[in-house]
Amino acid sequence: MTISQRIKKINPGYFFITPFILGFLIFGLYPVVNTVYLSFTNTTLMTGHAKFIWFDNFKNLFIDKMFVTAVGNTWFLWLLNFIPQLGLALLLAAWFTNVRLKIRAAGTWRMLFYFPNLLMPATIAALFFSLFSYYGPMNQILVRSGVLSEAVDFIRNPAAMRSLVIFIQTWMWFGWTTIIIMAAMTSISVSIYEAALADGANGWQMFRYISLPLIKPVLVFVLVTSLVGGMQMFDIPYLLTDGRGSPTNSILTNNILMYMKFRSSQGHIGAASSVGVMVFIMTSVVALLIFYLLRDKDSAAKKQAENKG
Amino acid sequence: MSSKNSLTFTRIGIYIILAIILIITIVPIWMLLVNATRSTTEIQNGIGIFPSSHMFENYNILVGKGLDLPRGFFNSLIIALSTTLVTVYFAFLTGYGIVAYQFKGKNIFFGAILVLILIPLQLSIIGYFRFMSKIGLADNYLSLILPSIAAPAAVFFAKQYLESIVIPDLIDAGRVDGCSELGIFHRIMMPIAMPGAFTLALFTFVASWNNFFNPYILISSRDKYTLPMLIQTLRGDVYRPEFGAIYFGLAASIVPIIIIYFLFSRFIVNGISMGAVKE
Repeated sequence: MTISQRIKKINPGYFFITPFILGFLIFGLYPVVNTVYLSFTNTTLMTGHAKFIWFDNFKNLFIDKMFVTAVGNTWFLWLLNFIPQLGLALLLAAWFTNVRLKIRAAGTWRMLFYFPNLLMPATIAALFFSLFSYYGPMNQILVRSGVLSEAVDFIRNPAAMRSLVIFIQTWMWFGWTTIIIMAAMTSISVSIYEAALADGANGWQMFRYISLPLIKPVLVFVLVTSLVGGMQMFDIPYLLTDGRGSPTNSILTNNILMYMKFRSSQGHIGAASSVGVMVFIMTSVVALLIFYLLRDKDSAAKKQAENKG
Repeated sequence: MSSKNSLTFTRIGIYIILAIILIITIVPIWMLLVNATRSTTEIQNGIGIFPSSHMFENYNILVGKGLDLPRGFFNSLIIALSTTLVTVYFAFLTGYGIVAYQFKGKNIFFGAILVLILIPLQLSIIGYFRFMSKIGLADNYLSLILPSIAAPAAVFFAKQYLESIVIPDLIDAGRVDGCSELGIFHRIMMPIAMPGAFTLALFTFVASWNNFFNPYILISSRDKYTLPMLIQTLRGDVYRPEFGAIYFGLAASIVPIIIIYFLFSRFIVNGISMGAVKE
C-alpha cells in the first residue's frame, strides 16, 4: 500500500478532530503539567535556576494564613451570591413559565435582566467604585435624603465592600441563571401541569412537586458551573479596591492571591502555581461530591416523571 | 370571581416586583452612560437623569491625560475578531468530526471535552505564561488567540447544534458529486450551520472583549494594552479628579456590547439555553 492509500483508509473523523487534539496538547495540557511542575519548585521570574522543593510551596500556603483567608473569602463571596441568585432565578422562572399567571413580555423582561452579564467586569467594578466612593453619587443620595448624617467611606469598610462584591456578582448573574432555569421549565410537558391544575394543585405545589424535581439536572449544571466560576472570581474584587483585596483582606480571593504572588517584586511563579493547584483540587473534590450526592436522586425523579407522564 | 380577583392582585404584585428588579438592573448602567456626557462639575453637583453635552470635552480630557482609548479599542477589536474566527472555525470542525463520523474512541473523546470544560484557568495560566515566555510569545497577541483552537465549551456547543441540523443524505450527495470530506464541511455544512456559528461567534466575541485576566497576565507593553487593561488604569491618581472623563472611558468600553446585544439579543438568549438544557 502506498502512503496515500493508507491515509485514505483512515476514518476522516480523525482528521477533523486532530487540530483540536494538537491544540489541546500544546495550549491546554502542557501548561497544566507545567503549572503542576512549577508548584513543586521555587521558580521566580528573576532567577533562571530553580530548585525542586517538593511540598514547600504548599506548606507555606498554610503557614502564612493568607491562603486560608483567601479560600474562606472566596467561598463566602460565592455562596452568598449564589444562594440569592438561584432563589431569584427560580422565582422569576416560575413566574414567567406559569400557565395561570400569563406574565406579559416575559422574553423582554428576561432579556433586560440578563443584560449586566455581558458588560465588561472591569468596567462594572470601576463603575461601582465611583458610585460608592467618598464623594460619589451613593453618598450624595444618602446624605441629601437624610438617611445618613454624613458621608461614609464605603471603600474602606470591609463589610460594605464584601456586600458590594456579593451584590455585583448577583446582579451580573441572576439573569443567566433565570434563562437556563426557564429553558428547563419550558421543556416540561404542559400536560403535566394541566393534569395537576385539574387535580386542584396550587402554584406552589406545582412548582415544588413538578418543576423542581424535573429541573434538577439543570440545577446541578448551574451549581457546578457557578462553583467553578466562583472559585476563580477575580475581576470584580480585584478592581473594586486596590487589587490586594483591601480593606483588611476582606475581599482577597484565590485568584487575587495567585496574582499577587505572580506579580510580587520577585515574581514567585512557583508559589503562585501552588495556589492554582490547591484551588483546582478543592474545586474538583467539591464538584465531584455534588455530582455524587445528587446523582441517584436525579434518575429517581426522572423515572417518577416518566411514570406520571 | 374572587379567585380571579386574587389572581389579578398577584399579577399586579409581580409586575411591581419585576419593575423594581428592572430599575436595579438598569440604573447603574444608565448613570454610567449619562455621566459620560456630563462635566465633572455637573457630576459633583448632583445626580442627573438626563444626558448633558460634555461628551467630547470628556473625551479630550481623557486623551489629554495620556489614555490612548482608540488604541485600546483597536487592540481589543483585533484580538476579539481573531479569537472569534479561530474559535468558531475549529469548534465546528471538531464538532462536525464528532457528529458526521463513526470512529473508535469517539465517545471517550466527547466525554473528555465535557470534563475539560470544567478545568479552571487557574490550573494552566502560570504554566502557560512560562511556556509563552520561553518560546517568545509572551507580550504577543498570538498567545491570547492560539488557545482558541481547542476551546472545549465551544466544541460542545457546535456539536449540539450540528446534531440538530446535519442531514446524512446531503453529505452522501456531496460525496457522489466528488466533494472531498473537508469540501463537504466547507461548502455544504458550514452554510447550513451559519445561524449556530453566528450565535457562537457572538458569545466568543463578547467573552474575548471583556476578558481581563489573560491579557493582564500575558501582555506587558503599554501600547499593546487591551481595553479592560486601560480601564484598570483609570483608577489611578492621574485621573482621580476628572469624573466625567473616567465615566466616558468606562462607557466607551461597554457601548459596543450594548449595541451588539440590542441587535442580536434573540440569538444570545436562545444560545444560552441551547448549551445547557440538551443533555
